[in-house]
Amino acid sequence: MSPIISVRDLKKYYQIHEKEPGISGTIKSLFNRKYSDAKAVDGISFEIEEGELVGFIGPNGAGKTTTLKVLSGLLHPTSGDVEVLGHKPWIRRNEFLKQFALIMGQKNQLWWDLPAIETFLLNKEVYDVSDLDFDKRLKELSRLLDVDDFLTVQVKKLSLGQRMKMELIAGLIHEPKLLFLDEPTIGLDVVMQKKMRDFIREINELKKTTVILTSHYMQDVKELAKRVIVIDHGKILFDGSLSTIIKKFANTKVITVVLEKPVPKADFSEFGIVKESDPLNLSISVKREKVAQVAEVLLKKYPVEDLNIEEVGIEDIIREVFEAKG
Amino acid sequence: MEKYWVVIRNTWNEMTTYRLSFVMWRIRVFLQLLTVYFIWASVMPTDSTLFGYSRELMLTYVLGTQLINSIVFSSRTQEIAENINSGDLSIFLLKPLGYFKYWFARDLSDKTMNLAFSVVELVIFFLILSPPLFVQTNMMLLSLFVFSIFLAVLLNFVIGCLMSMIGFWSSEVWAPRFVFYVIISFFTGGLFPLDILPKPLFNFLELLPFTYLQFFPLKIYLGQVGVADIFKGLMISGVWIGILYTGLYVVWNKGLTKFSAAGR
Repeated sequence: MSPIISVRDLKKYYQIHEKEPGISGTIKSLFNRKYSDAKAVDGISFEIEEGELVGFIGPNGAGKTTTLKVLSGLLHPTSGDVEVLGHKPWIRRNEFLKQFALIMGQKNQLWWDLPAIETFLLNKEVYDVSDLDFDKRLKELSRLLDVDDFLTVQVKKLSLGQRMKMELIAGLIHEPKLLFLDEPTIGLDVVMQKKMRDFIREINELKKTTVILTSHYMQDVKELAKRVIVIDHGKILFDGSLSTIIKKFANTKVITVVLEKPVPKADFSEFGIVKESDPLNLSISVKREKVAQVAEVLLKKYPVEDLNIEEVGIEDIIREVFEAKG
Repeated sequence: MEKYWVVIRNTWNEMTTYRLSFVMWRIRVFLQLLTVYFIWASVMPTDSTLFGYSRELMLTYVLGTQLINSIVFSSRTQEIAENINSGDLSIFLLKPLGYFKYWFARDLSDKTMNLAFSVVELVIFFLILSPPLFVQTNMMLLSLFVFSIFLAVLLNFVIGCLMSMIGFWSSEVWAPRFVFYVIISFFTGGLFPLDILPKPLFNFLELLPFTYLQFFPLKIYLGQVGVADIFKGLMISGVWIGILYTGLYVVWNKGLTKFSAAGR
């Protein structure tokens, strides 16, 4: 089976013109404009198979959103080959547009002054959804997201979380094969974030919808995506499963120790890198293979009240990836 | 086509959401109607003509401009610029939906709502003041009048869209648009009938698209344009629609390239 998305050596450069500060700079730039390229995406390649759930991670300005916009046909690539659902996205043919949805946490398509149901009805017609399918899907989606009671409430009277759910319904009423989610949990509280994640997982599993997700919240990616693509400065730093990235970069574990009385920090430095939050609590990152040995020594030699051995957090690993390559 | 019908329906719903501002809007329109009427009713002599217009024809003209305002000039195209500026245009580009068709549907929705209320208001106005009005009974002229209004609607839509294209290059759209419409309200004949102007100036204005938005349809209704001139006028406005539509197409594609280059 051919991949649902294939991207080869995609580049997207924005032309920006440089202007010196002040009025003289403004006048100079009128006559002699200097342009430079901002490399938002700089030669990335990847393929995504049907039914995958892929997380794009990277800092602000890494090129995540630009990539999503190229994939959804909003941007014309500077160079490279892109094929999505068998189409060149930027031609924006109707057959292509009907098969996917892009939901942006920071933009909404709902009619602000009307109940959300009116937007759904419009999308029903825009995407040629039959009455039967529409009723079935609306019932299912509003049950999954628990918004039955709010369908006929004016959008502007909904809470941010309820509105985001409605955005999802509006984007999914045509049951797209491919779903791009750009920061879907932005601004939501922890409980709502969790609900969102459960929902995204469910549609991926139930409907086999291919999902590509960008998020600042590592939790989103950690819980949802089996595969992550790490982007920075327009380049792919890592593409693979989360467990691989952990194995590859997390060659240490963290031992946290609670002491009964203070011990000089320097005493521990032979075991690994020591971080101290206060004299009685410290954490030491220790090479994987030495963990057991170090723990034993610690317990024997020092007044240890409590000791814990933990995996390095995914946030730390990703930070390490960025620091190592960036 | 069903989708554009839903757009029309949703726009109606949207317009009636805020009852108070809806009512205030209609009161404003009605007051404007009264003002224009009383100014001209007091200016026009009862027994002779002024600028070649009898009292009856002039009052029909000025009341006609009010009706045409509600059909031709009520529009939503200014929102296109906001759409571009805010980046919400992206949302439309993602859907299998004709962008200009969508806005034309919004326009039609606005116009029908406007027209429905204007008719009611004009009837009330008529019942209260029973002004002397000229009633055209020639069916051919009436159908040409309707057709010329249809062209005027298209023409105004294209002009409105073109003005909003400024949004691709600048965020200051409101001011140029406002000034533009103030200036053209003179050229459309919205303030007074244009044929009271000196002949050479009037002849020049006839070559511009603006007279076909208001003045020309009204003159057809009043039966003051010969059949040959009617067809000439319809031709000219048709040609302008073609030219401006082509222009819109070019500017739109340029703008889209720029829009996507900026990545908003």
